[in-house]
Amino acid sequence: MQEHELDCMGEACPVPLIKTQKKMEGMAVGDVLIVHIDHSCAVKNVPEWARTQGYNVEIDDVDDGEWDIVIEKTK
Amino acid sequence: MNNFFKNLAKNEFYKKLLSEPLTYVAGAVLLSLFQIAHFAIFKSGWGVTGAFANWGAWLFQLVGGDVSDWGYFASASRQKTLEGGFLNDGGSIRNLGIMFGALLSTLLASQFKLKQIKALRQVVAAILGGLMMGYGARLANGCNIGALFTALGSWSLSGWVFAAFMLVGAYIGSKLLTKFFM
Repeated sequence: MQEHELDCMGEACPVPLIKTQKKMEGMAVGDVLIVHIDHSCAVKNVPEWARTQGYNVEIDDVDDGEWDIVIEKTK
Repeated sequence: MNNFFKNLAKNEFYKKLLSEPLTYVAGAVLLSLFQIAHFAIFKSGWGVTGAFANWGAWLFQLVGGDVSDWGYFASASRQKTLEGGFLNDGGSIRNLGIMFGALLSTLLASQFKLKQIKALRQVVAAILGGLMMGYGARLANGCNIGALFTALGSWSLSGWVFAAFMLVGAYIGSKLLTKFFM
C-alpha cells in the first residue's frame, strides 16, 4: 500500500475533482490518496464521486475552510 | 470559550443547519420558493448580472467616463436606473444581499478563509473566466439565473434555448479547461 498526496489548494471547481480522478486512475488497488482542498464545493463533489466509484472516503477538517479528503482505492 | 466552540462544532443542529451544505433537493425547493416570492412581490424575475453592468457604468462614471452613447445603456429604462443611482436600484441591493449572505454563511460555518494564490495560472483562470462569463451574460442578456433559472420557471421558451447552448458552452469550456489548466 502506498500513500499519495494531491495539493488542490487555491483551485476552484471542477479542477480538484478532475485532478483527483486523474490521480486515482494511475494508482494501484489498496493505495490511499489524500487530497488537500480549500474549496467548499469540492468537499461535496470529490467525496461524492469517490463514493459512487465504491471507494472508501473520509473527510478531515484541517482548519477553517481547509479539508483533507482521504480516499482508499478499494478496487 | 474555546471549549464552547469545540462543542458547538459537534452539535447535531449546528452541523445540519450551518456547517454542512443543504442537500440538492432542499436547495432546489428553497430556490423555487424564493423565486416565486420574488416574482410575486417585485413583479419581475430574479437576475444577477444585469446589475453588475450598472456597477461597471457607475464605476466608469466615477473616473469621468460617459456611457450615455453606449448602445447597451441607451434604453430609457437603463438610463433611468443609471440616473437613479446605486441605492435606488433593487437589483444592486439584491446582489449586495447575496454577497453578504454568502459571507455570513461561510462565517457561521467557520469556513471563512483568505485563499493564498499559488500560481499565476490560477490568476489567469479567474480573470479570464470572470471576463468571459460577464461578457457572455451581457451578450445573452442574462446569466444562468436571469436567462435560465428565471426563464424556465416562467415557462419561457428562451430558457430552453439558453439551456441547450449553455450545455454546448459547458462542454467546450470543460475541454478547454482540461487542455490548458490541468
